[in-house]
Amino acid sequence: MPTTTSSSSSSAASSSGNRQADVFSRLASSDPEVKLKALREVKNQIIGNRTKKLSFLKLGAVPAIASALSDADCSSNSSILVQSAAALGSFACGFEAGVQAVLDAGVFPRLLRLLTSSDEKVVDAGARSLRMIFQSNQAPKYDFLQEKNMEFLFSLLNSENENVSGLGASIIAHACGTSVEQQVLCDAGVLEKLVLLLDGSLSQREACLESLATVLKSNPEAVSRFVGLEAGRYMSSVTELTKDRYPRTRLLSCLCLVVIYNTSPSYFLNMGTKSSLVTTLLELLNDPGQSGDEAALGLSSLIAEKEDLQKLAYEANAIKNIVDILKTGSELNPKRLQGLFLSLAELCSKLEDCRCSFLSLEMLDLLVNELRHKNADVRTAACICFRNAARSIKNLSAGRFTTDHVMLPLVQLLHDPSSSVQVAVLGALSNIVLDFSSPKSTFIEYGGIKQLIELSKSMDPNTRCSSLRALRNLMFLADNNRKELFYSEVKAQGFVALISDPEPSVQEQALALLRNLVDGCINSIEFVFDEDGLILDTVGRQLRKAPQAQMAIQGMYVLTNVASGTELHKEAVMQQLFPQPQAESNNFMLKFLQSHESQLRSATVWTIINLISPSSPGALDRHVKLRNEGIIPQLKNMVNDACLDVKIRIRTVLSQSMSFGDN
Amino acid sequence: MSLFRIFINQLEEDDQEMATSKKVITRGEWEKKLNAVKLRKEDMNTLVMNFLVTEGFVEAADKFQRESGTKPEIDLATITDRMAVKKAVQNGNVEDAIEKVNDLNPEILDTNPELFFHLQQQRLIELIRQGKTEEALEFAQEELAPRGEENHAFLQELEKTVALLVFEDASNCPVKDLLDISHRLKTASEVNAAILTSQSHEKDPKLPSLLKMLIWAQNQLDEKAVYPHINDLSTGQLEDPSD
Repeated sequence: MPTTTSSSSSSAASSSGNRQADVFSRLASSDPEVKLKALREVKNQIIGNRTKKLSFLKLGAVPAIASALSDADCSSNSSILVQSAAALGSFACGFEAGVQAVLDAGVFPRLLRLLTSSDEKVVDAGARSLRMIFQSNQAPKYDFLQEKNMEFLFSLLNSENENVSGLGASIIAHACGTSVEQQVLCDAGVLEKLVLLLDGSLSQREACLESLATVLKSNPEAVSRFVGLEAGRYMSSVTELTKDRYPRTRLLSCLCLVVIYNTSPSYFLNMGTKSSLVTTLLELLNDPGQSGDEAALGLSSLIAEKEDLQKLAYEANAIKNIVDILKTGSELNPKRLQGLFLSLAELCSKLEDCRCSFLSLEMLDLLVNELRHKNADVRTAACICFRNAARSIKNLSAGRFTTDHVMLPLVQLLHDPSSSVQVAVLGALSNIVLDFSSPKSTFIEYGGIKQLIELSKSMDPNTRCSSLRALRNLMFLADNNRKELFYSEVKAQGFVALISDPEPSVQEQALALLRNLVDGCINSIEFVFDEDGLILDTVGRQLRKAPQAQMAIQGMYVLTNVASGTELHKEAVMQQLFPQPQAESNNFMLKFLQSHESQLRSATVWTIINLISPSSPGALDRHVKLRNEGIIPQLKNMVNDACLDVKIRIRTVLSQSMSFGDN
Repeated sequence: MSLFRIFINQLEEDDQEMATSKKVITRGEWEKKLNAVKLRKEDMNTLVMNFLVTEGFVEAADKFQRESGTKPEIDLATITDRMAVKKAVQNGNVEDAIEKVNDLNPEILDTNPELFFHLQQQRLIELIRQGKTEEALEFAQEELAPRGEENHAFLQELEKTVALLVFEDASNCPVKDLLDISHRLKTASEVNAAILTSQSHEKDPKLPSLLKMLIWAQNQLDEKAVYPHINDLSTGQLEDPSD
């Protein structure tokens, strides 16, 4: 039996190949009967059969069928038109390589012409195949801004033929991208046309829901227009459809409502609607097909940044449901995995209960596994999940995230080719390194510091920023050993480069890192004096350059920390604040004290407090200098500062001032 | 019987009624309640038409339309096409059925991998039934194996089906159910439902649901009352509770 099987398998392969070649050659026959038969054969072989689509594609079937269609178009042979259009449509159905081949064959305009045929079957075939093409990302761009195209689109939407009107909606769903296009469509009355399809057939309803979501996305005007139609009747219809018997309809209506909610939440004051939207999406997560995949992403989009909805979802058992799906063991689609992890991440973003619940379900192992998934989006989502779960101080200090088992794969992702993965894992590590419970750090043992410094030189500004944030957290309340270890890898020149980064956000993180570095014991301050005070000079220079508030805050805190040191340290700070020769009122301190940012005012006042703290010998002289530069008088004006923290610090300064005999 | 005895018996009966505390409704009362419910003839006609159309009785639907004036929910011509497909599967002509479905709507099989797999599976079963072992092997290799590769969810069923090829006497092996005619009917039903869905028609007629509702309602009412039941759905006869 086995020998027979193997020989028949080889003969099967060759005979199927022969058969395919045979039918392929008949496609080119000049006899229309033979051609028609061949077309039907190819069509019937490829429908539903991805493997056959691929093999016929390789034979070059698509151009052959395209030319058959062109010839038939000229001779108006309906049967051949129908069969070739259907075959091309099937090649394009959910098969990207097929779409590419059809478009490359240049047959798209021909297919459009079929829509004007008098033969209903030809119109159907043409409309169906075009709809398949438009569901792909490779579909030709549709210029909504051209009047001709708008007219054509509306002629499609107005058609009695459900395939044709569905095509119109599909074009909108997949080709409308910008807010300008949304506006143009709305102004032309597309919403009024689309909503009519809600009462139509199943496919029309679904096409309508998809296109509505595209037109309304992030466009408050369009949303208000839609909700206003017939006093909210269609909004109610869409809400009703979330309870429809077909899962895809339920999904598409939910996604439509998510778009509306994210754009204009005020239409959802009713808690019941919010709640049922969450529960419907949760139910749809169990759907094995495409609906389930999209439901997961839809859910994450819905609950993103919304604590009240996260709570609703948690109370509806979302965490347990999602974890159960993840634990089924069957291979899940990458899109679904991404959606599920993002949903978990959102749930854990603010709610401690969610984090504890999630971590108590033995999920770390599974999550660690997915860090090695071949799809970058899945790896990114898993990292974000880690980041948010690690916000749980309770679990963090229980050491759950700092085991080798968790740490090693995370550290390995620092080398990931995808920058979004890098940024995401840096976010996770930023939180995890804040674990003070253990004296030794697994992360550092894995050479984490070197890797972070490496990444701080990345081409991608997000990566640089995120790695510096992680380093900043790593240096927070760090002991001298750790600081020395870090500094030895960076050195003064390295720091100067970081602080002088072209991106303000990166500069800010670099200064925050420096602030943490010099915080703590007095020895730490020496770092900024390395190589002739290179770092301190750079900080001073950056502060004099009229920086953004966030950057200035960190810079001033650096100076505050340095000024908390010895006499020499304080004098060095004075040097930076008032360099000689003094340029024309280049006094950035005054500017900072007048800033709208209370944190900046506060940081500046702190520096002053440290500079004139009475216990140090040179305080009096420094106080005189500050008074002469107008700083102390400025503080006197700020006695009633709006920010309580600033007010209290100023009172401290002024009482110090009075001790110097100043009224 | 003495008056006293009758009186005691009466008390006992009263006790029994109070013990069960269920309301008793006599046949007369029940029939009166039933007659009070108003039904529209049009609704009943619609139900009948819905049944005929969904089950695919084209000629009956056409005649019924002419005699009652009830409009069918879908074009009767499409029913003919759909019934042709169903019949082809029921007769074991799966290849023919596939061609017909694709003529009707090429999207159905392109977007329904499970259905397509089941149809291919049925084709294999028919080849095995006809004793065409070589052809069956070839078919399993060329057509079914790729389905398993494309979609791991089908692997288990695929293995079951291929197992038919392994046994000398397929009609007596552990998976012999696949050869049963009922499997053809199952596949036929699946195709029928898919076509109905694509035409936005509900795949199940309303009538069975109504009858199920009746049985459920009677079960619910049984906890609270004693009343005449309909026990035989085909006759709809009222039967007294004591029977």
